[in-house]
Amino acid sequence: MGTLSLLVFSPAIGILALLMTRNSDNNQRTHVLALLSSFIPLLLSIFVFALFQGGNQLEERVSWITFQVAERTLTLDYELAVDGFSVLLIILTTVVSLLAILSARWMVNKDLNLFFIFMLFLEIGTLGVFSAHNLILFFVFFEITLIPMFFLIGKWGGTDREEAAFRYIIYNGLGSMLLLLAIAVIFINVGNTNFSVVADFFSGGEQKRFQAGMAIALLLAFGVKLPIFPLHSWMVKVHVHAPPALVMIHAGVLLKIGAYGLIKFGVFFFPEGFEILAPVIAILGLINLLYGAFLAFRQTELRAVLAYSSISHMGLILLGVAALNEAGIQGAIFQAVSHGLISALFFLLVGILLVRTQTTHLKRLSGLARLTPLLAGYFLVAALAGLGLPGMSGFVSEFTVFLGIFKTMPVIGAIGTLGLIMTVVYFLRAILNMTFGSYRNTFGNLKDLRTEEVISATILLLCIIGIGIFPNSVALTIQQTLETILVGIGG
Amino acid sequence: MIEFVWLIPTLPLLTFILLTILRDKVNQTGSYMAICLTGMAFILSVLVFIQLIDAGTAVQEWEWITIGSIQISFGTLLNPLNGLMLILVAFISLLIHIYSLGYMERDQRMTTFFAYLSLFTAAMLGLVISPNLLQFYVFWELVGLGSFLLIGFYYYKNSAKNAAQKAFIMTRVGDMGLLIGLILLFWQTGSLQFEAIFSAITGGDVEGSMLTLIAILIFIGAIGKSGQFPLHTWLPDAMEGPTPVSALIHAATMVAAGVYLVAVMYPLYMASTTALMVVTVVGGFTAIYAASIGLVQNDIKQVLAYSTISQLGFMMLAMGTLGYTAGVFHLFTHAFFKALLFLAAGVVIHAIHTQNIKQMGGLHQRLKLTSITFAIGALAISGFPLFSGFFSKEEILSAVWADGQYGLWLVALVAAFLTSLYMFRLYFLVFHGESKQRLDQIGLVPKTMKIPMSILAVFSIFSGFFNTSWFGSYLGDWLIGDNQMLTNTHHGSSIGVMLIASIISIGGIILAYMIYVKKSFDQTSLQSSFSGTYKLLANKFFMDEFYHTSFVKGAKGVGKIFVYVERYGVGFLLAFIREMLTTLSKSGSKTQTGQTQTYAAVAFLGMVLFTAIYILKGGY
Repeated sequence: MGTLSLLVFSPAIGILALLMTRNSDNNQRTHVLALLSSFIPLLLSIFVFALFQGGNQLEERVSWITFQVAERTLTLDYELAVDGFSVLLIILTTVVSLLAILSARWMVNKDLNLFFIFMLFLEIGTLGVFSAHNLILFFVFFEITLIPMFFLIGKWGGTDREEAAFRYIIYNGLGSMLLLLAIAVIFINVGNTNFSVVADFFSGGEQKRFQAGMAIALLLAFGVKLPIFPLHSWMVKVHVHAPPALVMIHAGVLLKIGAYGLIKFGVFFFPEGFEILAPVIAILGLINLLYGAFLAFRQTELRAVLAYSSISHMGLILLGVAALNEAGIQGAIFQAVSHGLISALFFLLVGILLVRTQTTHLKRLSGLARLTPLLAGYFLVAALAGLGLPGMSGFVSEFTVFLGIFKTMPVIGAIGTLGLIMTVVYFLRAILNMTFGSYRNTFGNLKDLRTEEVISATILLLCIIGIGIFPNSVALTIQQTLETILVGIGG
Repeated sequence: MIEFVWLIPTLPLLTFILLTILRDKVNQTGSYMAICLTGMAFILSVLVFIQLIDAGTAVQEWEWITIGSIQISFGTLLNPLNGLMLILVAFISLLIHIYSLGYMERDQRMTTFFAYLSLFTAAMLGLVISPNLLQFYVFWELVGLGSFLLIGFYYYKNSAKNAAQKAFIMTRVGDMGLLIGLILLFWQTGSLQFEAIFSAITGGDVEGSMLTLIAILIFIGAIGKSGQFPLHTWLPDAMEGPTPVSALIHAATMVAAGVYLVAVMYPLYMASTTALMVVTVVGGFTAIYAASIGLVQNDIKQVLAYSTISQLGFMMLAMGTLGYTAGVFHLFTHAFFKALLFLAAGVVIHAIHTQNIKQMGGLHQRLKLTSITFAIGALAISGFPLFSGFFSKEEILSAVWADGQYGLWLVALVAAFLTSLYMFRLYFLVFHGESKQRLDQIGLVPKTMKIPMSILAVFSIFSGFFNTSWFGSYLGDWLIGDNQMLTNTHHGSSIGVMLIASIISIGGIILAYMIYVKKSFDQTSLQSSFSGTYKLLANKFFMDEFYHTSFVKGAKGVGKIFVYVERYGVGFLLAFIREMLTTLSKSGSKTQTGQTQTYAAVAFLGMVLFTAIYILKGGY
């Protein structure tokens, strides 16, 4: 078993341990067990990151199935590998999963044991998605993430959890159907779904119509996950009604599969198709950016504000992809990582707040800064990160995306800056509404953050500020990947 | 020493980090620490400045971000303008830190206040030594953050919350201009380094209309930050912050950053006459517009806020008419006397707990030093002969005249007249006449507040002598030096302009004396005979109302439309998909219902398609 396989399946240790103590009522012990076991993938991911930075190729291959169809050999192997982009998302996954498990203790009030089992199961799927090196395996892991998500939303969610789980499965099911279709076409054409082989195969790229068709299929399939307007209604529901600890992973990591797929399969495999589609993607990005921002401005529930803000921020990823140059793609990758960290921080805070107030309705909250200055402070800092304040990761990604889009489509870029203004408007409106103003004594004696909560929030914040101040820590990691992807565009 | 210039912003940043972490554990000690570190930053800037006199310029650079083949660096840049700003910002910051010790004495959140103040100082010091436009933008936003935090310092007040929010949003509107401008400039010149940009511009690498567009976009950023018309409405509201903040951020340093930006990018503006014209007109208009509003405000800090906007307009006017030295010179002198005026106003507010000048009067008896220093500040800003403002304002008027903008020259003259009128209206109403409050309860003004005021008073009187046609134009020589790119700027002055400026200034003071002390004219009858004008001015030309009905309501309207799209458009799509799938799953397995089954149905559908393609493409 290679290092990557070890990493991907390492959460299974925790699952086993939890299964064995299934009957125990000791929540404290369950929590410690889950926490300890989520350190294993974290440490392994750091090890993988170090190996990758050291220039090691971490490829793994086990022959699996080979069969003949009409004089053509179709090969399907078990293949894992990482590049600069996926290694970042792997680290993001293990960090956010750990923090989600750390903070879930106070947010989940029934069957903690099973909750953690599903969370670890979800982690296997997510790590697999980012480590898979062929499309079929990617798809298998992708499907694996859907199952625990479905149950986690349906069982531990808020008031409207069943509807949320239902929408989740419908939209993502349709998305994966389309993805499967696209993968099948690729498989039939290439005879293999290994990423490098597929990219090589299409690099000749004469069949413009075919490329455009594939680009559309992938855009739709990953558009559900990203999500692209108007395929987003499931995601808003999940943001609002799923348990916050889960949304940390959902918004923080799972949504990034959309960006990952678009860049790694879309732009990488079918550069010419994406070149044809670029104006469409740019306009979709603009719609996401503005539509999300204006709707976030109208929401009265904090979690809905954050949901629409995610839609708006995903618009930036689309704009970066549409730019199809080094700045744009790098900006999109930065935005994926940065938004992951920021939304994880936000939903960590939402969870912390919910435990104390049982509500995130903006109208019912006011003046939190008085009794809980730390919580209010972290909310403000998260909002500042979200609105792209320099010195934090969001600024770097916004700047790079706009640098890219202004090179190819300056008019779209100029309209897009309206979204950046609206971002300030809706974030400040929501956060100041909660933290500033006079405190109405509705919740009695609110307790400020406990130590574990401070630690979780601070870790995320340090990552956000770290990338903001030393963006090269990320930029140099993805340098080579970026070059590989851009070869097809000739940029 | 000069290679340690990066330490200057780092020291206050360190204060911010330490105070934020330690918060409740330090209290008084925390504020002393803040003062010490800011003091060290000031000493360091003086040392750096002394070395800079010989060196001329100094650059340091480190790699910041790699974007494919693009490299963007960060670092430090010292040149005459930056060196001057560095020392100015560090000096005023230090004085305000000391003053705050007395002013915030009884506030429980003093540590937080000093933490924010230090954050602002760090950002502002970082801003003035930026070697490239992106780093400039980074610190530009961070000073905005400092300003936002301090405006909203009294977070429990709704007015403070709204003011903080407004300041952030309105300056962000301007910032987008700057951001677009800098990105366009990057793709035009291939760099964000100031030097590389300027050599590309002077080398004619950028086409004329593009150059104008970029210059105007960047100027929009300056409009937002410096409270120029039409993005000025946040600045009067920003007075919600504690008064030392108004002195440091919203008078002496941050709001001047817009003028500073134009100064930094001056070669760009010199290359486009259209852009210069825009700067001139906006500056000139703002100068008279804000001065006229300042005439009728009754809140002591509001009057000072409008006077700041007006004075910044003067600076812009100078910049637009090639009066580079004049603009920077006025920025320099204004920093002293405006900070002084705010600090004195702070003492008054501290003493009698109101900001309404109609409820003040006769404070001269109890607050002698404050009254004298305020008078010095008022004389300086009015351009009273031999006070600092006299020299800088006179140089602006000369620059406008020399540029041939005679209409704007008249406008500036009227604005100058209004300035001395409203300043002395303020002075007489607050410090003279009958007292409307019990004055015996006013306590002693602490030394920590008196000393900074006295120092600023000295500078308000004498800082004009750094650049006169009598003793030598030290400042102008220092700024222009042998800089090829600035050789065409105007400097110098003429006796004629000087005389007219003096008459105007003294005239305004005399008129204020006649109205508010001698009562030769009845105020109320003046108000009623110009009731329309008065209403317009008192309501600040209804700009806030205009923004409310246009932009705020507009944004809400767009939001509402999207809410409907979301509810009916996107909702319809959902209903459609749901209907389709239920039908499918029912026909697939009639006995089963529920959600898990739907998932199975979808997966099944995928399988079917997969096989179908197999058969179609390959064929079994």
